[in-house]
Amino acid sequence: MAEANKFVVVFKREYLERVRSKWFRVVTLLGPLFFAAISILPPLLAARSGTSRDLANIIVLDATGAGIGDRVADAVAQSAKGTTRPVVRTVAPDSLAVAESLATAQVVANEYLGYLALDGKTLAGTEVRYAGRNATSIIDIEVLERAVQRTVLTMRLEREGISAERVATLTNVRIDAKTEKITDKGRERAGGMASLLFAYVIFFLLYMVLAVYGQTMLRGVMEEKSTRVAEVVVSSARSTTLLFGKVLGISAVALTQVLVWVAMGALIYSNRAQILARFGAPPGAGGFQLPAIDPMVGVALVLFFVLGLVLYMALYAAVGSMVSSQEDVNQASMPVTILLISSVVFVQIILIKPADTLARVMSLIPFSAPIIMPTRMALVTVPAWEIAASLLSVALGCTLALWLSARIYRVGMLMYGKRPSFGEVAKWVRYT
Amino acid sequence: MSDLAIDVRGVVKRYEQHVAVRDLTLQVPRGTVYGLLGPNGAGKTTTIRMILDIIAPDQGSIAMFGRPNREPGVLDRVGYLPEERGLYKKMEVRRVLRFLAELKGVDGRTADRRIDEWLERLSLRTPEQDWGKSKVDELSRGMQQKVQFIGTLVHDPDVVILDEPFSGLDPINAQALKDSIVELKQRGKTVIFSTHLMDNAERMCDAVCIIARGTKVLDGYVSDVKAEHGVRNIALALDGEARNGASEVLRDPALVARIDDQNRFFEVELAHGADPQALLQRLVHAGAAVRRFELVQPSLHQIFLQKVGATNVEEGMSGHG
Repeated sequence: MAEANKFVVVFKREYLERVRSKWFRVVTLLGPLFFAAISILPPLLAARSGTSRDLANIIVLDATGAGIGDRVADAVAQSAKGTTRPVVRTVAPDSLAVAESLATAQVVANEYLGYLALDGKTLAGTEVRYAGRNATSIIDIEVLERAVQRTVLTMRLEREGISAERVATLTNVRIDAKTEKITDKGRERAGGMASLLFAYVIFFLLYMVLAVYGQTMLRGVMEEKSTRVAEVVVSSARSTTLLFGKVLGISAVALTQVLVWVAMGALIYSNRAQILARFGAPPGAGGFQLPAIDPMVGVALVLFFVLGLVLYMALYAAVGSMVSSQEDVNQASMPVTILLISSVVFVQIILIKPADTLARVMSLIPFSAPIIMPTRMALVTVPAWEIAASLLSVALGCTLALWLSARIYRVGMLMYGKRPSFGEVAKWVRYT
Repeated sequence: MSDLAIDVRGVVKRYEQHVAVRDLTLQVPRGTVYGLLGPNGAGKTTTIRMILDIIAPDQGSIAMFGRPNREPGVLDRVGYLPEERGLYKKMEVRRVLRFLAELKGVDGRTADRRIDEWLERLSLRTPEQDWGKSKVDELSRGMQQKVQFIGTLVHDPDVVILDEPFSGLDPINAQALKDSIVELKQRGKTVIFSTHLMDNAERMCDAVCIIARGTKVLDGYVSDVKAEHGVRNIALALDGEARNGASEVLRDPALVARIDDQNRFFEVELAHGADPQALLQRLVHAGAAVRRFELVQPSLHQIFLQKVGATNVEEGMSGHG
């Protein structure tokens, strides 16, 4: 039988056995849940924790003598969008302390959430005091603060003789900051934060997949070696055929998994409004926009991913073939793991300065480029020539890794016992 | 087409520190059971790996059915069982077997049919239970060995190469394996197996090649080898109580060149020019109760010792295969 057919047999086994495994199915299904968790949960939690549901269930202690209490209560009730309205207690300035003690006792007894104390300083526009169980909620406090602020402002304007309707129109200012990213192509709709998050997700996904499937490859090669299956296979096919079948087979498994994740992620993302609504989030929640991906960039991303996979799978296969025991495997795989981790070490800097020299250099090194370049591409517009140069470098690295791995693998796979030294491995490579 | 299943000529394999196989030439006739014998570390596994093109020789040529073994498709006609055995643990038995068959170019449907036949034959598939659907590691050790054996034969190879097939087998499985080897021969297949147990080989093999320290000691048909080494051996059995007087006689270098003392049974190689009758008389005279005294062809073991010398064997035994 032709060697190409044997490659297909090895590839098919590698691919089908892994895709059929329970582990693969569980991780493939849980992946999007993870994705959903990071894309849906934050806005959901933000929407939920926007304001406490019973924010209006508070006591307003008005010691100003100016009747501001009722108006603050109205404003709070309005902001909290609840059905209840805060209870207003008008007290004399000198009995405010007593009223506060009583209110505290009621909060402790869970009758109210907290109390708001308005006094002369409030009228002067400097201070309002709030005590309550939700005192640490930044959003709650901001809502209360704004309600008091608006009421004080309204009263002052009215004192200046401006009509109530006019005041309402004038003070109705609601600023919501919409951010936009500017790239070489001009402005994009997505916010800077969303871009950064997206880039980080891409980085994390690439790193994680390479690391996890690297371990898969190590285990696979070691199993074949220790059970002597490798010897049986190599008595039927060339060792290079077995190696390439394994490298491409496992790479295909990883690619399948990530493509399923991307497809499911896209589905969740495009339906996120409905999903959020089902969880009871108000409309408009989770309105963050992912950066639009240029189809060419998408193709480049896939290419980087595939080449990166093949590169690292080839290296891990070589390592797996060198060792005979589980104890040796960590030490032997250290050089490859260091190459992989170098990207993690610098990712913070690259996320902040994606167009800097460090980022550009790391996009040209075959070991970091498959992770760093896609991360940069998610952040900024990388010139086409840089992408091409980076791809070329990874492709060359890939070829070299496969060549090197094939030479180590054919010898290592038949060696049992002591882990070879670096010099011995170098000799294997030179064998003809 | 060549009458030789395997033709190894002038093969050399060197490693960093030592020469594993030195100028080895051997011919395996078609349809024979062929033994590759020698102590551990003699180079048997290296030779087998070269025949299977798992490793390449530094010098020499290896042909199979008259074609170089590197030629595509040639090795598809060979089944191989390595010394230490194992299969993909987490894989379904049937899928492992189909994988091994497909690697040898058997199409899926034919493979499935043969796998079923084999599973039934080795009672791994009964009306109650089909072990073919189980994962390999759910099977007992004995069953796994059966599966491995099926994997070696599922593509119906013309040549079957077994590396130390008897090591680790209990007597029942060893007998089953012997039966299988005989059956393969009857079906016209060529079986090559390596072993360091000469007795096993002597009874089963049509032809042998004995190697020690990477060098061929002798090869050929077992009957030829024995005839060549003449009838200089005596199978001797004595009654236990009468041994004392006999041992002195057996130590006489004028009569006995070498003796293999197996307690109640001795294989005696006569000294050069010694008369077997003289030995018998001396034994009787010494008061030994002779229960058996027979001129026999030497055993392979004796021939091997004669050729190599006991010291070499001792050293070889401590080495690694």
